[in-house]
Amino acid sequence: MAAENSFDLVVIGSGPGGYVGAIRAAQLGMKVALVEKAPHLGGTCLNWGCIPTKALLESAKTYDKLKHLEELGFNAGNPTYDWGRIMGRKDGIVDSQRKGLRFLMKKNKIEVFDGIGRLAGPKNINAKVNITGADGKVTTIETKKVLLATGSRVRQLPFAKSNGKTILSSDDVLSITEVPKTMAVIGGGVVGIEFASLFGRFGTLVTVIEVAPQILPSEDDEAVGELVKHLKKQNITFEIGTKVTAIQDNGGKSASVTLEGGKPREFERVLVSVGREAVTNDIGLELVGVKTERGFVVTDSHYKTNVDWIYAIGDILATPALAHTASAEAMHAVESLAGKNPTLLNYQANPNAIYCYPEIASIGMTEQTLKAKKIDYKASKFPFAPMAKAKIENATEGFIKILYEPKYREILGVHIIGARATELIAEFALGKMLETTLDEIGQTIHPHPTMSETIMEAAHAALGHAIHM
Amino acid sequence: MVDPMVNQIEILMPLMGEGINEATLVKWLKKPGDKVSKSEPLLEVSTDKVDTEIPAPADGVLVATLAKEGDVVLINTIIGHISADGSAAVAMAAAPTGTRAITPITPITPKTAAIRLTVPPAASANTAVRSSPLVRKIARDLNVNLGYVPGSGLHGRITKIDLDGYVASGAHHRQAAALSGNGPAPGQFSAAPPMEALGKSARVQTQIINGRECLDKNPVRREKMTKMRRLIAEHMVESVRVSPHVTTVFEVDLHKIFEIREKHRTAFEAREGFKLTYTPFFIHAAVEAIKRHPVVNVSLDGDDILWKEDINVGCAVALANGLIVPVIKKAQDLNLTATARRLNDLVSRARTKKLMPEDVQGGSFSITNPGGFGSLTSNPIINQPQVAILGIGAVVKRPVVIDDAITIRPVMLISLTFDHRIVDGEGGANYLATLKQILENYSELPL
Repeated sequence: MAAENSFDLVVIGSGPGGYVGAIRAAQLGMKVALVEKAPHLGGTCLNWGCIPTKALLESAKTYDKLKHLEELGFNAGNPTYDWGRIMGRKDGIVDSQRKGLRFLMKKNKIEVFDGIGRLAGPKNINAKVNITGADGKVTTIETKKVLLATGSRVRQLPFAKSNGKTILSSDDVLSITEVPKTMAVIGGGVVGIEFASLFGRFGTLVTVIEVAPQILPSEDDEAVGELVKHLKKQNITFEIGTKVTAIQDNGGKSASVTLEGGKPREFERVLVSVGREAVTNDIGLELVGVKTERGFVVTDSHYKTNVDWIYAIGDILATPALAHTASAEAMHAVESLAGKNPTLLNYQANPNAIYCYPEIASIGMTEQTLKAKKIDYKASKFPFAPMAKAKIENATEGFIKILYEPKYREILGVHIIGARATELIAEFALGKMLETTLDEIGQTIHPHPTMSETIMEAAHAALGHAIHM
Repeated sequence: MVDPMVNQIEILMPLMGEGINEATLVKWLKKPGDKVSKSEPLLEVSTDKVDTEIPAPADGVLVATLAKEGDVVLINTIIGHISADGSAAVAMAAAPTGTRAITPITPITPKTAAIRLTVPPAASANTAVRSSPLVRKIARDLNVNLGYVPGSGLHGRITKIDLDGYVASGAHHRQAAALSGNGPAPGQFSAAPPMEALGKSARVQTQIINGRECLDKNPVRREKMTKMRRLIAEHMVESVRVSPHVTTVFEVDLHKIFEIREKHRTAFEAREGFKLTYTPFFIHAAVEAIKRHPVVNVSLDGDDILWKEDINVGCAVALANGLIVPVIKKAQDLNLTATARRLNDLVSRARTKKLMPEDVQGGSFSITNPGGFGSLTSNPIINQPQVAILGIGAVVKRPVVIDDAITIRPVMLISLTFDHRIVDGEGGANYLATLKQILENYSELPL
């Protein structure tokens, strides 16, 4: 075997887990190969997830603001939009990031292999990975270690596979050519709610159908309750606790959704957003004996699988399927396999971010979880409404809710709903990570006037001396 | 290959007390291959301080003993492994690959032990330790010296999980079981100061004359202090440095106590199985007096005064080559008989080296009884971080003047040595006046 096809680390999958792991490994002096089956680097996050959806949601937010320009003193008339240009802007951002990634690979001397990577060699040292290119040609490379970062794919409903026209997955919907008049969103998780909030604000009459008793079931009940009030003002209606029994395409023009015990209802488009599944099949796991459980790869707390030379991170683990989580796991895995002794990740400080309007962001436990686990807690909630900056930004919706342990005021959970929730949560992620208590957050001088002052106010409220309420 | 260490639980030499870096493994109570259950005694260890049994950390099978009986072992050293699932120790020879740095087994010779002692374990001061605001608050509450807690965070930062694990292991009780019988007060009297520092300030210059080492031309025999002696030395120096000591002395007439004791001693001994001495009376009365003058039961933390809920009385007990101060906990809730029982138990265990670390921790006030050796009064040193120590002198019969007539009475000098930072002359005198009043008017036994 030629030395140029022998590596210290092969990373399979180039999403925010894989490429970050590859760069970190290169920084640590390893010879790294990165294998990607898709035409572009960046995985779900860059190509079908975080980046394109947030680009579109930013357009929705701007459109919404334009409609309220009168309140800010402008005579702007009725704003109109050009969906093609909005999609074009989104594509431009994605393309620019893809190019940036190629540059980063080159800069870090990471060799990129196009094709499907499969574990091939069961040997401990200089194990093999086969890469099958688009032309079917197989290239075998040798490596000391492998980092599996194959990510996830959209889950399909068995009775209603997406057809790319009227029945759409979240991948398909990113190339939709016009804003539909009506849309059913099957599944009220993060993906479904973000798309509902996107199309609703562009005028689509959206019906969100969720089988669970609440949308966003992993978020705090109170924050979700507040969100639902606002979503209802965005052309969105809800069918909660309702099961879909059939979805029927109507000649490529529309699709009909049948709810349990109901008649078929026609929608111009149906978005099926019922979650994602880990890509753990057909990557050679069985060949080398990597242990899986309910479709997820099993690792220790340093992301090492039961096979000594194989590490795994990201959506193929049972940990939260989030881009930033995958990146953090990858950094840890690579540092660990390089013989460093990195600090364990604290998943209680792992932020969730949902980019509907208002945004929701959270860390730690929800109030319903604390109740269910019978953990002693107190809640402190502070609204954005009295804050000067919220009024200045015309964004008075929502609140910051801190759940804390009463004796030492340790942060147990934080749930923010509001215009800048996804940015504000970072302070709590740091605070939780550093085991800051509310005393220190209350003592921290926050800039005025900002939305972030509300964090300090919520801490003051917990300590019994809110200033602005 | 499954990580061979996954199902192996390390048995670590536990921390036996403040400033104690090592312990002697006296005896394995189980052999490799034996089943052990959690909390079941697994081995006996001995320090100069206490002898005790160490329980198994988990259920399983003892698969390896890495330290031999008689070995002197550093604390936190792995001395064996328990296999949780009973699987044999295939990988025993391999170095542990745990996530945290582990001191390899190093049975140490007396020579290296002496060097070791000059190095305080981990960090000796809280200020040098990385931790979080939450951890510092909890540690302050639990009186844990963070210098002893291994940190798993970035650059060894101590996280809540680390502290919880440390506390759950019981290590902080052992940490607190120092000679003084007190855990270190945060920020004030933490781990023992390096012996080096104390030693250097007190070095003397000797000369060799005619092949003999001499001090000022006087031939000397050089002998190493025992660990207990060193610890006593450190604590005494530290206490005098920290607290301005003041002593006040009162005379007490004990005829009433004599009468009560005489009346009850036979029945008491028959019932309780041990002799009724005077000391329980003094402890009981001292506690009653503290209830009226709680200022002698505080500790100081910087500018703050820590008022303690419980009165935990440390009673100095002389040993062959030093002393130990077992503590009667919550003495405020005890009547005379209960006090006597508690004292008898602690003293007999102290003399047979059967005290557990927790028996010598948590004192809030101390009593020393040099009267037992014939001393009329003394000037004891305060047991940090306490602020007062009561001295009990010898009981002697003397002619005393009562109602302008000379009578023979058993009398005794009592002294209170107190920390003038918090107790003034008047406060010390008031305490002793109350104690005198209680002792001279001691009512019938609440037996």
